[in-house]
Amino acid sequence: MWQRRAFLQAAGAGFAASLLPRQALALDASELVFASAVQTANGSYGAVLLGEAGELIAGIALPDRGHDVTISRAAGRGVVFARQPGTFAVVFDPAGNAVPVTLTSSAGRHFFGHGVFSPDGRLLYATESDFEAARGVVGIYDATDGYRRMGEFPTYGTGPHEMLLMPDGVSLVVANGGIETHPDYGRAELNIETMDPSVVFIDRRDGRLVGQLRLAAGLHQLSIRHMAIDARSRVWFGCQYKGAPSESPQLVGHASMDGEIALIELPAETLVDLRNYVGSVAASTDGATIAISSPQGDLLVVIDAAAGRPRLVQTLRSGCGLAADGDGFVASSGLGEMIGLAGAKRAPQRYDFQFDNHLLRVG
Amino acid sequence: MRALLTIATMVLGAGVAQGQMPEQAAWVPVTPKAVLAAAVAEVIRPNILQLDEASGGLDRAMEALCAMPSADSLAIAADQFGQVVRAYGAIAFLRLGPLLEDNRADRLLFWPDRRSIGLKQVHAILATEDASATELASLQGKSVAVQGLGALEFVLFGTGAEALSAQEGAFRCRYGQTIAANIAAMAGELTDDWYRPDGIASHLQTPQPDYSDYRTETEALEALVGLVSHGLEALRDKHLLAFMARDNAAARPKLAVFWRSDLTMAYARANIEGMRKLVAASGAARAVSDKQQGLENTIDFEFRNAIRALDLITLPVAAAVADEKQAAALSYLVLVTGSLQSIIGEQLSAALGLSVGFSALDGD
Repeated sequence: MWQRRAFLQAAGAGFAASLLPRQALALDASELVFASAVQTANGSYGAVLLGEAGELIAGIALPDRGHDVTISRAAGRGVVFARQPGTFAVVFDPAGNAVPVTLTSSAGRHFFGHGVFSPDGRLLYATESDFEAARGVVGIYDATDGYRRMGEFPTYGTGPHEMLLMPDGVSLVVANGGIETHPDYGRAELNIETMDPSVVFIDRRDGRLVGQLRLAAGLHQLSIRHMAIDARSRVWFGCQYKGAPSESPQLVGHASMDGEIALIELPAETLVDLRNYVGSVAASTDGATIAISSPQGDLLVVIDAAAGRPRLVQTLRSGCGLAADGDGFVASSGLGEMIGLAGAKRAPQRYDFQFDNHLLRVG
Repeated sequence: MRALLTIATMVLGAGVAQGQMPEQAAWVPVTPKAVLAAAVAEVIRPNILQLDEASGGLDRAMEALCAMPSADSLAIAADQFGQVVRAYGAIAFLRLGPLLEDNRADRLLFWPDRRSIGLKQVHAILATEDASATELASLQGKSVAVQGLGALEFVLFGTGAEALSAQEGAFRCRYGQTIAANIAAMAGELTDDWYRPDGIASHLQTPQPDYSDYRTETEALEALVGLVSHGLEALRDKHLLAFMARDNAAARPKLAVFWRSDLTMAYARANIEGMRKLVAASGAARAVSDKQQGLENTIDFEFRNAIRALDLITLPVAAAVADEKQAAALSYLVLVTGSLQSIIGEQLSAALGLSVGFSALDGD
């Protein structure tokens, strides 16, 4: 757990003090457990750090809408990435001892909202778009040298979204959503007819493609977006379907470095309620269960990873963020709610900010 | 930004100041159910019918052009094309259900075509006189980029289009006629879908918990408001900013949709007017508490500002971006679409108790 120190004396203090001054007293007594990008009550964007009881520890102001957060204990830093096609990432000190630093994507690149540190915290990897060439890249940043961009390697696909570090500490797994966008056209999706999603495993030491997995050809409009890793090192993924709204393809599956990829069978009524959209995926602490969310369908589904069957279906209006919590999960919503799920002992809470799509549990 | 606003005030004149709103009429709140019913009955269905009618006219005009090529019949087909572009502009933002089935939105208008993929494919069809592009079924199996309004615009207005007024353009005409038939077929399918008993219209108007698309009035309202919010974003990003000068980069008018037919701004106007009609005729901004009753005027005020800006853009887009006053009006139009998106996607959504605008409907 992170230990908090003089957060109020650091740059994040402005946010914390102005947003919810009464919470400032909680700083010394709490430990950082959750992080999420948010939209504040006055419409501005930021990220929040929450304690075990859900208390607000601190906020970080962002220049525009953020998306996911990654934190490295080894680096002593966290990073909030801009939502695609954003061009900033804010590096912050969870202990509150250093002023946040804003990184800007290099020319011809923008962020996709997700990234991950190397196990030793020395390198930061971010999914990015080489938008002129319509190809995904992993940007590599030197955390020991002011987050200087050292280089990049390809994601072997278009529109990369979430990226995770595999348990081997060497392989990165990237969800290539398959959708081409270009900043000249905002968030417009340019290749829905011909999109080509895939899950790729990349050796982070040299950028070598270890393996690339695609679903059946008839599912090429199933954009693979978000992932979590289970106890057997299988990568669970959630998809967003860009084809005809009257169709309800399966949306959740798993892939492995052994080259297997498969969709699991969710019941038809659950699929209908997911609205062809999975917004985030999380694994429980023991990796035995997987949770997925659909803010469009207001639905949360907890899946038994070994059996590949849903264990629990629960509604949460605009619910999207998911993180492991005790024996279960915690879920956050675009309406500012946070609830426990599937055995997590947590009373529902409501905040005066709106959670963005992802909730990070700080390891 | 301040300079731009100053210019906008200059070009738009003094009559648009916020303080000069007319007195508000007596407040008559409407129910969500009434909003949904009116959206379908007063806006969506009539606009879809208008596309169906215009597309039928274009189909017949292309048939006549191919049967008896002449400058006159070409002019009639070109005029009919403009009517379809306007009619499509008035429904292009209805990106739910029928328009998203069978890739219809992309098949009707593949845009943006950032790497000119469609143009290259159309060139190839014309150069090789690909007979499979002149049969409806086989055209429908081809790339979305060669079977809709973008492809037909090149046929009617692109390099070599003058051949259409004589027999030498016979293949080009047959290809264009097949595209027109395809557009008419899709317009007919859209009409069928929107009038089908127990179809999307009734689901949207009377949501039920067991429906696979709209379970509650809140969900249906979210979809409706989301259409306008996202439609404004699409208009700005795909059809305005894409060709305007920005960040020290020169304007690129050939990246404007329908620049060859000089229908770029006609399409934008139809789009704006369609969205204005959806908000106004549905009464969406009247289904709020009396404390929020100012929203309706605020929204219409901004829509009228957008239309005033459009009124000022009279030159073809290549000339408009080079004209100080018209370029300023374009920039102002972009500002207004952003303002409208914020008012509708955030303020109106919040006033209606919807979650549209954040994590729910503009996902990632």
